[in-house]
Parts: sequence; C-alpha cells; structure tokens
Amino acid sequence: MNENLFASFITPTMMGLPVVIIIIMLPSMMLTSSNRLLSNRFHTFQQWVVKMITKQMMSIHSPKGQTWCLMLVSLIIFIGSTNLLGLLPHTFTPTTQLSMNLGMAIPLWAGTVFLGFRHKMKSTLAHFLPQGTPIPLIPMLIIIETISLFIQPMALAVRLTANITAGHLLMHLIGGATLVLTSISPPTAMITFISILVLLTILEFAVALIQAYVFTLLVSLYLQIDNT
Amino acid sequence: MPQLDTSTWFTTVLTSTITLFILIQLKISLQNFPNKPSNKYLKTLKLSNPWELKWTKIFSPLSLPLQ
Repeated sequence: MNENLFASFITPTMMGLPVVIIIIMLPSMMLTSSNRLLSNRFHTFQQWVVKMITKQMMSIHSPKGQTWCLMLVSLIIFIGSTNLLGLLPHTFTPTTQLSMNLGMAIPLWAGTVFLGFRHKMKSTLAHFLPQGTPIPLIPMLIIIETISLFIQPMALAVRLTANITAGHLLMHLIGGATLVLTSISPPTAMITFISILVLLTILEFAVALIQAYVFTLLVSLYLQIDNT
Repeated sequence: MPQLDTSTWFTTVLTSTITLFILIQLKISLQNFPNKPSNKYLKTLKLSNPWELKWTKIFSPLSLPLQ
C-alpha cells in the first residue's frame, strides 16, 4: 500500500526518457502573446490576470524593488498553473518534488539577501538586532536571527512541497476509501464523496498557496529593499 | 519517499530553472499593455520667435518712417 500510494510522486520517465522535462515546460506553452488591442478571450484573460497580479504585488514596493516585477509575476503564474494542472486526475505535479522547490527557493532568497547587502548594508545588518533588546540578550538574539534568516529558503521549499504532496495524498486515500465504500453501503459513500468535493474545492485553493509562496518571498524582498 | 531520490534531482532542477527564468519570463514579457486610446492634442503650440519676446516700439509698422 505504501508503494502504491507514493507511486504518483516518482519523477516520470517513459522508457528511460525523462518526460518530466516536457511536463515542467508545459504550462509555459499555454501562455499566449498577441499584438492586438482586442484579442481573444484566452489571451484577454491572461492579460487581466497579469495586470491584477502586478497591481496587487508591486504596489508596496519602492521603484527599485519594482524591477523584480517580471520575476515575481512569472513565479506566481508558474507555480499557480503547475498546481492547478496537477489537480487533474493522473497528472504529475512538479511542485511535489522537493528538488524543484529548493531550486526555486534558494536562488530567489539568495538574490534578495545579496541585493539587500549590496544596497543597504547597514540596515540589512541592523535587522539582526531588534530595537530595545536588553544588553545581556544580544549575542543570543543575533544567533537566533541568523538562524531564522537561513531557514527562510528551507521553509519556503518544504512548505510548498509538503502542502501539495499532502493534498494529493489525501485525495488518493479518500478516493480509494469511497470506491470501496460504494460496494458496502452507498449512503456512507455519498457522504464521503461530498467530503471529497469539499476537499477538492479547498484544495483548489492550492492557488492560494502560491499566493503564500510569493508573498513570503515578497516579504523578504520588501524587508531588504526599502526606503529608497 | 520518492521525492528524496536524488538521481533525478539534476534534471528536475535544471528544467525548472530554465522554465522559470527563461521561458515563462519571455512569454510574459511579450504581452503588451497599450495605453487607452485618447484624443490627440490638435492645437499646435505657438512658439514665439526671439525677437517677438521683446516688444520694441520701432517694429510697430505705424511708427516706422513713412516711405
């Protein structure tokens, strides 16, 4: 049962060829581009989404931080579309792979830290010591703040992986249980099926998770580059 | 847990980096958001010549000597 449950999280290869490459690149192929003023619904919808994201996310940044606009918008669209496509049955969700999430989290977090150090060295270092701490506590607090800084990329990656994996596992388990229940007692199966529906709807807020991802990234960026 | 099998990590990380940093950014940067169509400013601004900035009496036609 263990093997069966985790089988959907193995990186897919078809006869030795790494199909995972095509699966990761698939959402980017669905983004359209057009030069017209009025385009078709699909493209208008994408334009609307990009505009909404830009307005929501970039309003709290200084002009220097707004140079990250393209990066953050593409990040949120990438993770959102990947998560949503993974909700279809029998699909492989790349964001369940810890490798990919680490590969996204570490470079982006490192970028924000280095940018903060380059532009505002003193205020970045000052974040390590909150105002008004009593003097004997200072060494310990610096150590704690350093640890909390270095744990940020790990938390970003593991949070995304764990949430998506747990959601998919739950759907597998409850779906299997409902299937078995229909032969035993249909009313119980009905109740379980309704709960699956509710679970799926809540899981559709996996998109909300990418909100969380980018917001957390955003927060760390915001803390470093400000007062410009 | 199959996510901890590091043999596939290189492929996954490489593909996701290329996709995220190159492919998707290219696609999104190709979207353009034109300004709303607005009226063209039809009144052309009248630029004054340097000698018109200073009014001098001698240039008034009635004050010139009669020829």
